[in-house]
Amino acid sequence: MPIMQRKLTLLLATLALVAGAQAADDKIALKVEMPKPLFAGTPRPVQLANLEPPATKRPDILVSKDTKVLSRGKKVTSSDSLPVIGELAFITDGDKSGTDGTYVELGPGTQWVQIDLEAPAKVAAVAVWHFHSQARVYHDVVIQIADDAAFTKNVRTLFNDDDDNSSKLGKGSDLAYIETNNGRVVDGKGQVARYVRLYSNGNTSDELNHYCEVEVFGSPAN
Amino acid sequence: MLAVLRRWWPLALIALAALWLRVHDLGRRPMHADEANQGVKAGELLESGRYAYDPRDHHGPTLYYAAQPVAWLRGEKSLAALSETTLRLVPALAGTAAVVLLALFAATLFPTPPARPPWVAMTAAAFMAVAPPAVYYSRYFIQETLLVTFTLGAFLSVMQWWRTGKPAWAASTGVAIGLMQATKASAPLLLALGLVAALPAWRRGGTGTPSAPNTRRLRPAALLALATAILTAGLFFTSFGSHFAGLTDAFGAYARAADRFSAGPTGHEKPWGYYLQLLTWTRSGGLVWHQLALMALALVGAVIGFRAMFASRGTGTNSALTWPALYTVMLLVAFSSFAYKTPWHAVHFVPSLALLAASTLAAIASLRTGIWLALPLAIVTIATLYQQTVRVSFQRPADARNPYAYVHSSPDVLKVSALAADARHSFPGEPIRVISDEYWPLPWYLRRERGVGFWHTPPEVCDGALIITSAAQADTVRARLTHRYRETFLGLRPGVICAVFIREP
Repeated sequence: MPIMQRKLTLLLATLALVAGAQAADDKIALKVEMPKPLFAGTPRPVQLANLEPPATKRPDILVSKDTKVLSRGKKVTSSDSLPVIGELAFITDGDKSGTDGTYVELGPGTQWVQIDLEAPAKVAAVAVWHFHSQARVYHDVVIQIADDAAFTKNVRTLFNDDDDNSSKLGKGSDLAYIETNNGRVVDGKGQVARYVRLYSNGNTSDELNHYCEVEVFGSPAN
Repeated sequence: MLAVLRRWWPLALIALAALWLRVHDLGRRPMHADEANQGVKAGELLESGRYAYDPRDHHGPTLYYAAQPVAWLRGEKSLAALSETTLRLVPALAGTAAVVLLALFAATLFPTPPARPPWVAMTAAAFMAVAPPAVYYSRYFIQETLLVTFTLGAFLSVMQWWRTGKPAWAASTGVAIGLMQATKASAPLLLALGLVAALPAWRRGGTGTPSAPNTRRLRPAALLALATAILTAGLFFTSFGSHFAGLTDAFGAYARAADRFSAGPTGHEKPWGYYLQLLTWTRSGGLVWHQLALMALALVGAVIGFRAMFASRGTGTNSALTWPALYTVMLLVAFSSFAYKTPWHAVHFVPSLALLAASTLAAIASLRTGIWLALPLAIVTIATLYQQTVRVSFQRPADARNPYAYVHSSPDVLKVSALAADARHSFPGEPIRVISDEYWPLPWYLRRERGVGFWHTPPEVCDGALIITSAAQADTVRARLTHRYRETFLGLRPGVICAVFIREP
């Protein structure tokens, strides 16, 4: 390789590294506001291999500085369109306290809720609080994003802990987790999508599915 | 015959409705730990023909013996073959019988001309047929509904003896009392309360009925009742003559209960007003559970009953209301006084509350144009009770917010049988291990599998086709496994999670 060409390559590589470093400097750790814990008494100790220990500090998700909550007040649809308890609007109303009257209860079996961001967005993270006033694990939690409301175009899975594919969405390898006030924050990796869908299939206490709140963090796609 | 039909046809319809509510979809709800435990005992009796009364944390034998003919009729001959439906048919049939017995008892207490249906009795039966605690615990394989049925049998028999003086009714009273005692050790409390509640009527020389008491034949009748009661209870406690130690154990049950309650908190302590709240109105997790209409009507009935008690001369119906009013209040005070409280005791209040509420409606109907108020009130009461029963027994029978679903098993436990069958199919020679301090109702769901073992602490060798362990012991168990396993979890009951290790090829 001629010397000039080698020097040029070296220069380009250095520039790329500097640009990358600058881009990383632009990122900040995502800060998610967590509600107060609701366990009334001391929860029973639960330490399972496929469960994160309750006090685990999860790694920060780095997001760009212009990241904000995109889902607040956005329209929510569901496989259970007429919940007996609560309303679908509770899912994006910003109240994640988990007390009575702040969560929605969907029917038994596999159910989903879907948030329409109203425009394509770079999804930085999705945070979900199912129910955090009792130690319980929701089964087959799957979080997907897509370009269309019917989830047929460009469907991508951000999280899947359905280890036996019982919800027929594909076998997942993510760890199941115990619900706490910290909910679950999933990295969206800045992928562009307009719709976010969250599945679950009952929980260790009953067959029902609950949501206190879902927050989709990101920034407009353009 | 036509007269009998004309008088009792409404009761036949009510009994059919009660039966449907009690037997429909009996197998759907997961087995509560207590149901599972007693189901295994009934299955062992079915399989081996052997039973020995055990006073430690167990009630009397009638429940297990009553399950035998139902199992035979349904062609189930072993624990493995025994189904949830078969077991729950026992309280379901007893609960339906209780509705009929309440109607007959009420018809004796509030007599009407023979040609007319006894509407107070019919209304009381209708209330009991749809009352949430009565329906819920008639679909639950525990002793409580049987005890209610036998108690009503005893009260009805006493009333019939009181009216007719026939020795057969004295003997029938004894049999019912014997069955009560062989069902639960709390039977004497219910009998004593029933007796004390009858004292004002006795002192007046009548129960409000036109019949005079047969006090002259009291002593021989009481002796006959006592003899049949002892014989009946004795047969059950001695396992029909094969286990005589059961008799002494039956008495020892009270000493054991005293020891248990004096040893410290049992975990079932609740505030004084627990039963009153449970029977009236309670809210949990956005859901409301109530019997407001029934309780409001019953309260009016109780006031009428107490007024009649203190009046210088009670009129027929009002005076007859004294007994259910006194019985209900004394029952409430007695059950509320014990710190130990469980929701199934609520079922004992239903018959007398139904009687009081039905009597209130009768009092309203007896006023001029009162029928036009009583009828809608009856319909509203039955409709609200039915709506609540649907929620309690069919929509949310195992929901932690359901006040009658007490520390109930999670629906997750329904997965255990299939997990075990799959594991056994893949590794036929390997054991299935349950390693946990708490494991009920898992023995019920593993009853069809051979080679199932239960440990409180992890054994040296933990490998097997399927291992279910408490969350607290999961790390120790995992460290002792030498093969490849897929790990998952299941909820035993709300807030209690187990780790499950499924062997992989």
